[in-house]
Amino acid sequence: MIEAESLCKRYGSFTAVRDLSLVVRPGEVLGLVGPNGAGKTSTLRCLAGIIPATSGTLRIAGHDLAADPVAAKRKLAFFPDEPRLFDYLTVRQHLNFVARIYGVADHEARAQPLLEEFEIADKADRLPGELSRGMKQKLAIACGLLHAPQVMFFDEPLTGLDPLGIRRMKNSILQRARDGATIVLSSHLLHLLEEVCSHVLILKKGEKIADGTLAEVAARFSAGETGVSLEEIFIRATGGSEN
Amino acid sequence: MLGALLYLRLTSFRNGLLSRLRRLRQPKYLIGAIVGFAYLWFFFFRPMGAVGAPRHSPGEALALAEAATGTAVLLPADWVPLSTAIGALALLVFFTLMWVIPTERAALGFTEAEIAFLFPAPITRRGLVHFQLLSTQFRSLAGATIMMLFSHRWTFLGGNALTHALGWWFVFSALNLHLNGARFTLTRLADGGLGLWPRRVAVLALVGAVIAVTVWRMPAGAPPQAPGADPDLRPITDWLLALSNTAPLTWLLWPFRFVVGPFLAPDALGFFLALGPALAVLGLHYYWVVRAVSAFEDSSVDAAQKRAARIAAWRSGQSVRSPGDAKPQRPPFALAGTGRPELAFLWKNLLSTWPWFTGRVFLGCAAVIVAAGLWLGSQPLPRGVLPGIGAMAVMFAAYTLIVGPQFARQDIRSDLANADILKTYPLAGWQIVLGELLAPTAILTGILWLALLAAGITFQPTSERMAWLTPGLRVALTAALALLAPALAALQLLVPNAAALVFPGWFQASRTRGGGPEMIGQRMIFFFAQLLTMLFALLPAAALGAALVFIFQWLVGAVVAVCLTAVAVLAILVAEVWCGIWLLGQQFERLEISAENRA
Repeated sequence: MIEAESLCKRYGSFTAVRDLSLVVRPGEVLGLVGPNGAGKTSTLRCLAGIIPATSGTLRIAGHDLAADPVAAKRKLAFFPDEPRLFDYLTVRQHLNFVARIYGVADHEARAQPLLEEFEIADKADRLPGELSRGMKQKLAIACGLLHAPQVMFFDEPLTGLDPLGIRRMKNSILQRARDGATIVLSSHLLHLLEEVCSHVLILKKGEKIADGTLAEVAARFSAGETGVSLEEIFIRATGGSEN
Repeated sequence: MLGALLYLRLTSFRNGLLSRLRRLRQPKYLIGAIVGFAYLWFFFFRPMGAVGAPRHSPGEALALAEAATGTAVLLPADWVPLSTAIGALALLVFFTLMWVIPTERAALGFTEAEIAFLFPAPITRRGLVHFQLLSTQFRSLAGATIMMLFSHRWTFLGGNALTHALGWWFVFSALNLHLNGARFTLTRLADGGLGLWPRRVAVLALVGAVIAVTVWRMPAGAPPQAPGADPDLRPITDWLLALSNTAPLTWLLWPFRFVVGPFLAPDALGFFLALGPALAVLGLHYYWVVRAVSAFEDSSVDAAQKRAARIAAWRSGQSVRSPGDAKPQRPPFALAGTGRPELAFLWKNLLSTWPWFTGRVFLGCAAVIVAAGLWLGSQPLPRGVLPGIGAMAVMFAAYTLIVGPQFARQDIRSDLANADILKTYPLAGWQIVLGELLAPTAILTGILWLALLAAGITFQPTSERMAWLTPGLRVALTAALALLAPALAALQLLVPNAAALVFPGWFQASRTRGGGPEMIGQRMIFFFAQLLTMLFALLPAAALGAALVFIFQWLVGAVVAVCLTAVAVLAILVAEVWCGIWLLGQQFERLEISAENRA
């Protein structure tokens, strides 16, 4: 479970996230949407413990992220939009390294199914420099999943994936949610959110405009119309501009 | 096409200059620029006589000194034959290597942006070659100016700053043109079926044959003599002159003599006389390159990508290897899934360095040092060089300790780009810092131990005044230093890592591509800050060590005193290292790269 209460993030005099509260329960997939500069990435980074919140309380699987960050981080995985890999570690060595960091004793048994699921088993002894952008993305995801996290944060998870990879990624997210994982993902691809997310949270200029299930948010901005797409809801909610 | 090139170069230069001037509003660049300009002024421009000093070249200054003192001094003109011979021979070596070393097809040094804009443009292949050749002239001019700053202080040179700069330009242009011509020709020969090794053997055999025939034809009585106790290089210089003036080598060297002629000209008249032949050599080279052009597009694209990857890796803090050229390595040791997580960083960072930083190679080097030291010590003739080797080993150890952290960068500096991912790991900040420091500490410690081993085996007192340095005390000192080496290396590494974490903006700025006074200044500030911090950190340990040695040597003798003191000093150093790691860990937890990037 993810709990954020009055989350605020400031960079100097600039406020990126303002008084944001949210709760995401196991099995739920929350889609974080908003115009450019709305504070989606700052929110994700605060929730993942990458950057400290300026104020507010964050709890990951029951652990306070500020008071007990190590315990909280054991339960989470963060997947950045751009895969950050180590240039001189092969695919398999990446998994070996991550296993030691998280203390995964049976990592070899866990790694092979992941490599096969993401179709990079035949690239296990290759360096990142020899992989395509999509394969690097798959490797980053496999590394994140190795310790079976209960909480997952995806920042633009479909960037760089081919159509088949996109389908597999969507299925993988849904499967993990069905298995009880708590997932937050940020994306500009609204059709992805419609297909994958159970909940949505719309941010604008660092503030929450709306949140709830897709049906609840749709009802709020549809003005009685039926069949309004999430894209239309998004444009109505944000006023159609970044500002 | 020429207009487009000039527009690109001049506009880029102007915008780059303006951008650099604008960023001087940031203190980190302004302070760097002040320090950099001060350094350039005091070490290069002031000796050139910019203000207040008499405007004489070093050669003229020598002539004046001779006139003033009445002592015989060799004038620049006296040096010309020898310096020309040495310069021509050096160029012969460079040019020969250009025919021996290349293994890939000819590539021109386009950037990725140039490829993106120029390759699809309606420009002929020859036009692209012209573009590239002219582009290199800008770089040659910049390189010539920098080299002039150094060479202007060489006392054997005549001429002035302008002739030196132009002289260097001739040398660089000839090297560049010949490199391109050779690579185009080699590509054509390879396409015609000439293999790599037959080509290498043929080139080396040809040059070797020329030298062999020349040596055979040299006048009798001029074999090279090794310098004796009183170093007199005259026999060697005479032999070199004779070698370069004997056919057939002298014919081969003529173009090279023409190229170095303007640079070595002792005066203005000599310079103008040397211009014609040098220009002729460049003109012939240009004609050759344009005629020899072969397909270079594929290899140029590949080379541009590799260069971009190298630059990106360097700017992100990695300087040792290019990711594009990397090959998967065997892990340094088996990494289990459970255990101290810090060791995972050691494992990872050792994988990112050269493959020969292994325990096996270290033990092999140690065995060679011991065997060589014992053999040298048992032979009467070479035994005399042992103290010199020992002194060099000690100097090498000191150099490794001071400069090593700038090269062994497999730590936070290399991983700063991955800070986001590292921060999601379930580890305290100090654990990440400790883990990151392990690999470079291990590497530097290994090198220090080898240097100390060499010093311990070879260093022997040569005078009565050093009689107190008994064999037992030498062993104790070597062991004590070996004991302290890991802590000293870790302490040294903490400083640049602290700079990267405490001043990430400065650290990123110092990795900005390109030079300039502000970059020179920033690097100097970093270097001296590191030295000062190190001295400050060593002060408590040094004070305690001196006091303990002074007290213990009266009580238990020098050997035991050194050992006991080493343990006490080690305790202080470990405590300092631990404090540093803990503080840096706190800093790592607070680090916000995204905030730095916003600033």
